[in-house]
Amino acid sequence: MAEYHRSAMIADSPSGYCPGCLHSLATRLISDVITELGQEDNALNVISVGCSALNLLYWSGDNLSVAHGRAPAAATGAKRANPERLVFAYQGDGDLAAIGLAEIMSAANRGENFTVIFANNQTYGMTGGQMAPTTLIGQKTTTTIYGRDPATTGYPMKMCELISQLPAPAYVARFALNSPKGVRQARDGIKKAFQMQLDGKGFTFIELLTNCPTNWKLSPLQTLEYMNTNTIPYFTPGVFKDITAKEADA
Amino acid sequence: MGEKRFMKGNEAIAEAAVRGGCRFFAGYPITPQNEIPEYLSWRLPEVGGAYVQGESEIASVNMVYGASAMGTRAMTSSSGPGISLKAEGISYLAAAMLPALIVNISRGGPGLGSIQPAQSDYLQATKALGHGGFHAMVFAPNSAQEAVDLVYDAWEYAERDRNPVLVLMDGCLGNIMEEVELPPMKALSDEDLPEWSLTRRNGRDYQGTITPIYTEPILESINAMAGETYKAWEEEDVKVEEFLLDDAEYVVVAYGIASRVSKEAILRLREEGYKVGMIRPITLFPFPKQSIRNLDYSRVKGIIDVEMTIPAQMRDDIALQVLERCPIHEYGRSGGCLLDDDGVYEAILEIVTGGNDNG
Amino acid sequence: MKQSFVFTGSGGQGIMSAGITLAHTAIDMGKHATYLPEYGPEQRGGSAKCTVVINDDVIVSPLPRMCDNLIVMNEVALAKFIDDVKPGGVLLINSSRIKGKIERDDVRLIAAPVDDIALQLGDGRVANIILLGILIGATGIVAKETLIESLKDKFKDKKPQVLEMNIKALDAGIEIGESSH
Repeated sequence: MAEYHRSAMIADSPSGYCPGCLHSLATRLISDVITELGQEDNALNVISVGCSALNLLYWSGDNLSVAHGRAPAAATGAKRANPERLVFAYQGDGDLAAIGLAEIMSAANRGENFTVIFANNQTYGMTGGQMAPTTLIGQKTTTTIYGRDPATTGYPMKMCELISQLPAPAYVARFALNSPKGVRQARDGIKKAFQMQLDGKGFTFIELLTNCPTNWKLSPLQTLEYMNTNTIPYFTPGVFKDITAKEADA
Repeated sequence: MGEKRFMKGNEAIAEAAVRGGCRFFAGYPITPQNEIPEYLSWRLPEVGGAYVQGESEIASVNMVYGASAMGTRAMTSSSGPGISLKAEGISYLAAAMLPALIVNISRGGPGLGSIQPAQSDYLQATKALGHGGFHAMVFAPNSAQEAVDLVYDAWEYAERDRNPVLVLMDGCLGNIMEEVELPPMKALSDEDLPEWSLTRRNGRDYQGTITPIYTEPILESINAMAGETYKAWEEEDVKVEEFLLDDAEYVVVAYGIASRVSKEAILRLREEGYKVGMIRPITLFPFPKQSIRNLDYSRVKGIIDVEMTIPAQMRDDIALQVLERCPIHEYGRSGGCLLDDDGVYEAILEIVTGGNDNG
Repeated sequence: MKQSFVFTGSGGQGIMSAGITLAHTAIDMGKHATYLPEYGPEQRGGSAKCTVVINDDVIVSPLPRMCDNLIVMNEVALAKFIDDVKPGGVLLINSSRIKGKIERDDVRLIAAPVDDIALQLGDGRVANIILLGILIGATGIVAKETLIESLKDKFKDKKPQVLEMNIKALDAGIEIGESSH
């Protein structure tokens, strides 16, 4: 059995994430991959707004904290100004798929050579559980107390599917963090995306299906089951685009 | 002796920025500032810099935020409607203590307004460039040459104060072609990178964090520090032109294009024996309070606030220094209708000959 | 001496280019000059206007209300700007497009069918250079030789015939201008 260790990029302080929240796991995966790639000093974490901003408290590498939804724009400036750095933005669903929709789509469309990691937990966690653009049909939130009704709120947005339609992005993939297998795949996906960035391949996008025990009003274990029965059937995990797969075929 | 060129104000700003060390620009098209991004789109790559056409003014200012965090001299430009969109990002720049140059080539307002020139953004520039009660130093050149000189040194102020600098210039001066003398390219090396920047190039071996988020006591102390900075500006960085004030009975206060038209009118009025002078703020923030406060009000019979906007926006700043010691009159054109020599001359003449007592 | 010029017409008539060339030439002669364009939102066919101020000394205001020389390319612009030329000033009109009576008798009126002359020379696009020639002939504001130098610079990447055509147009204009005295 593997021995637990604190991941190198994570500071020795409480994270602030709620018990059972998969943000913690996602952050750890990113940290482990950065260590494996020997990029501890080179990685720049562009921190967005929402629960993801708690990264400020316990990410021990370089941080650039930015306005709500604007991480892909700020990352564009940072990476263009300093192309040798490994730049990644970590964004939640309200940040990325609502207020920051123009920024994510445009950065992807320009093929900016950085990585966006998108934590999709179908809710605005930090502000208390309002409906997100990714909230599932029928899912109850503080602004959809009878469940999300598509007649007035539309449908949950599938960001991987949207982004993979663009010509420029190099790697687009979705992973679910509610099973050991999903976690291993996510870790490999993040590593692939970072390596592709280091190789100058262009824009890479990783969507991680996560949870929110507090606002879903479920126990951590129940959230994992909820993801199996509700989230995963709608947000299908998989690789949506990978330019290196084509290169390997050729 | 610098290099002389006949250039558009907007292009002169762009070239001066490059020579002043700018290596990153992001912006979004809007008239009347389009020559700035157009020029920098080819010019920056020539000097190893980067140009990005942003998907919006919001994205553009945030790109500047990212580039500036890396220690790169970065700028964006726009006009009133776009500056409103950048307000969020400018406020974040101030919060994260990041230097940047913001250029506003202003036009008629409010709303979409007019694409024609106007000085309609004084209040936005000097009072609330964004939320949260911060200020940026505001330069208001009145010629292409002065724009070159101020832009060239803008980052010296921005980096010293770790705060954005705004250049406010109306569409007239943005589009005017005049002869300018260009300064030499500043030689900046990695050693010049600010110590706080998030680049590895300056050999930093500790964690770097740039953030607009603070705990309450730290935010309070940062607010207090900003207050001290603004006070220091007032003592050390005010730029003002005082013109024919020694015997002036009427004093025009005007900046930018309005100051040039006013000066022409004043020269004509002087020939006719009218004792009119002018105070021209070059920095709108810090405002040249002393110049107005210290006028000899036993002689000065009136202040005339001339602006290419209606109603005049500088009036309250002037009134706080005049303290009711003489009347303040105002004259302006607005909405994209331009001031002209005869119009300003006639307006001042009417005031000095007693046709108008209190504006 | 300070002299102001306002060129008016519609977008695509070479108004802006004429203004820039005049201002540039004045600067090449060691004078001071400002050039200020004003356009509508349209890229082509909308109203176009530019103001050029030339002076031996630094130019204080680039925004005169009344100009010394008004150059008008079409009737729409004439109706809009006819009152903007000072009494005693030069009103230069493109009579190829302006047929009506000119309601100013206090100005020095020069009417020349510059579009027709340009077409006779073989290139409708040089009408604006004919206008500049007329201004030189009528007012001597800049030297022909300096203007040719600035045209040489402007057309340095074009075929030599382009410069030749422009010089021909300039000469044709100067002749009209000189005979207007």
